[in-house]
Amino acid sequence: MSDALIDLFAEVLQVDAAELSDDTSPDNLRQWDSLAAMHLVAAIEEKFSTRLSTKEIMKMSTIGLARETLKGKDIDV
Amino acid sequence: MTAIDPKTRWRQHLAGTKNESGNVLRVAIGGSVTAEPLEPYLGAHLLDKGFSPVVTIAPFGQVHRLCLDHESVLEGEKPDAIAVIWRLEDLFPAALAKTLDDPAALQELMQGVQTLADAVAHLRKSFAGTIVVSVPPYPAMPGFEVQELTQYGAGMAAHAAACALWEGEMRKLEHVRLLDLHGLMLHRGAAQAQDARKWYLYRQPYAEVFWQDIGRQLGRIIAAEKTSAKKCVVLDLDNTLWGGIIGEDGLEGIQLGQDFPGSAFRDFQKYLLHLKSKGVLLAVASKNNPEDAYEVFDKHDAMILTKRDISVFEIHWESKVESLRRIAAHINIGLDALVFVDDNPKEIGEVRERLPDVTCLMVPEELAELPGLLAATDFFDIPVVTEEDRQRTEMIAAETARKQVQGDVLSEEDFRKALELKIDVFRAQRQHLARITQLINKSNQFNLTTRRRTLAEVEALCGNDNALVLGMDIRDKYGDYGLVGVCIVQKDGGACDIDTLLMSCRVLGRGAEETFIAQIAAAARQMGAETLRGKYIPTPKNAMVKDLYARFGFTHDAAGDTWTIRAEDVQPPPAHIAASLALDDNANRKG
Repeated sequence: MSDALIDLFAEVLQVDAAELSDDTSPDNLRQWDSLAAMHLVAAIEEKFSTRLSTKEIMKMSTIGLARETLKGKDIDV
Repeated sequence: MTAIDPKTRWRQHLAGTKNESGNVLRVAIGGSVTAEPLEPYLGAHLLDKGFSPVVTIAPFGQVHRLCLDHESVLEGEKPDAIAVIWRLEDLFPAALAKTLDDPAALQELMQGVQTLADAVAHLRKSFAGTIVVSVPPYPAMPGFEVQELTQYGAGMAAHAAACALWEGEMRKLEHVRLLDLHGLMLHRGAAQAQDARKWYLYRQPYAEVFWQDIGRQLGRIIAAEKTSAKKCVVLDLDNTLWGGIIGEDGLEGIQLGQDFPGSAFRDFQKYLLHLKSKGVLLAVASKNNPEDAYEVFDKHDAMILTKRDISVFEIHWESKVESLRRIAAHINIGLDALVFVDDNPKEIGEVRERLPDVTCLMVPEELAELPGLLAATDFFDIPVVTEEDRQRTEMIAAETARKQVQGDVLSEEDFRKALELKIDVFRAQRQHLARITQLINKSNQFNLTTRRRTLAEVEALCGNDNALVLGMDIRDKYGDYGLVGVCIVQKDGGACDIDTLLMSCRVLGRGAEETFIAQIAAAARQMGAETLRGKYIPTPKNAMVKDLYARFGFTHDAAGDTWTIRAEDVQPPPAHIAASLALDDNANRKG
């Protein structure tokens, strides 16, 4: 089963989805810099038709935390 | 329409998964804000226009440095275009804030704007490609909230004064294009365009939808420098220029004037008149009785367009396909330069199928959208409107008069004499550059090499001692064709290479080609060259000049695929033409 959130991160960060997991963060992935963070937020908002608050955005420091935030907004990821 | 969204399209392009061919176009962007979100939208728009774009975003916040030293900021990148996107509140926040309380602080703000204008002037001198600069949007900073009850006018004056100074300075620099961020923001609406979250988190102030607006607009500006705009709108009459059917409803019954939907048709006509003032030709293709249709033009009080605004009328019961062919032939342009507007899906369908080069637009179901139908497209993006553009409809009318004389009585030779042609060939001066660049970028048929150039590149050639940029001006007793021919020669030892040779097709067959070649040879001799050397580079559109050099006695050299002739062997201009050649720097055409 492919994972929509992982696929989205892979596409924006231009890395292989196999390299990503819920533990991936800016600390262990060089490509996830501040510009990439900006592109990620735009991509997530577009893909899942949602709007993230600055609080939510600042909390998303791993893919797993991003998943949790989206689930909290009733988005199935 | 592309089925996929711009971001996906751009990512696929970058990943090389979609094989896109096209001219490589390098664009560098410098911003006083984080400008990265612009990249996919600009890139996708340029892909749509057939380019293979490379977009570079300069490091954030280095607007002045980019202008003063683009080579080091761009780390050796050689862009075709540089865009500078800046805002007052980023570059001059303190001065801007002070203007709210202290009118004298405006001076400080103006000095800041002037410094940036000077930096752009420096960039113009040191960079030959296209330059685009933004008009700063109304500031988004505390104290400038337009919705506050007491705020009316407080921030407006400072913004307006800064914009006026900026625009004036930019217009002084030739061929610096303005990207009207302020106007774009009005169009989108500031509340929708801005996104405070992104500003505080990433120092980028805009919502994605507004970056898309900016990307498209910037793409239009850059693409317009390199592509040709549509040249003629072909209009149906009933339910397109007015509501109802003249043959059934009569002059009193059709809808045109103060009340909707007549007001929408009236405003559509007003927009068409605006297009005409930019050099776009208008034509009519209608299935009607001609006398019914002309009656509306002659007698209806609310008609905005007059018969003189329309270059060709095709009013009869034959097919629209035939009408469109005749219109293109009459004004001597390709079918791909036509935009056809009709309310009948059957007509549109038939034209789409049989003349796929013609761009078709349906009158929208929602008539309130009709006046904005053409403004929403980039079909008529013309970077600079020249005097030749403004006179185009009149020139076509003069041409029709000529054809009548020709058809009436005279032999071909008598006709040529009767025209009293005057042809001036001259070294291009500053005031000719806009028109010359326009011809270089839009002439397809009579164009030997189809080399496209920006205005700055042409200007650089004018300043090159080994190059000569020639213009050709033609007029006759029926009117002035204006500047209709361009030749660029480059001296290479004892030979002159014809880098570019092109002419507007409207003037062919009356001795203009002979005269131009003769004067080019004379100019080459004055430059000290003995041989003239030309090249024919075939394109899908320029077969008509395939044999041009052979016709004038050039011999083909298979080795280099070039055509050569001794300059002194070129025949002088035909006797019936009053020809002149002026190579002085201050050559004054029409002298």
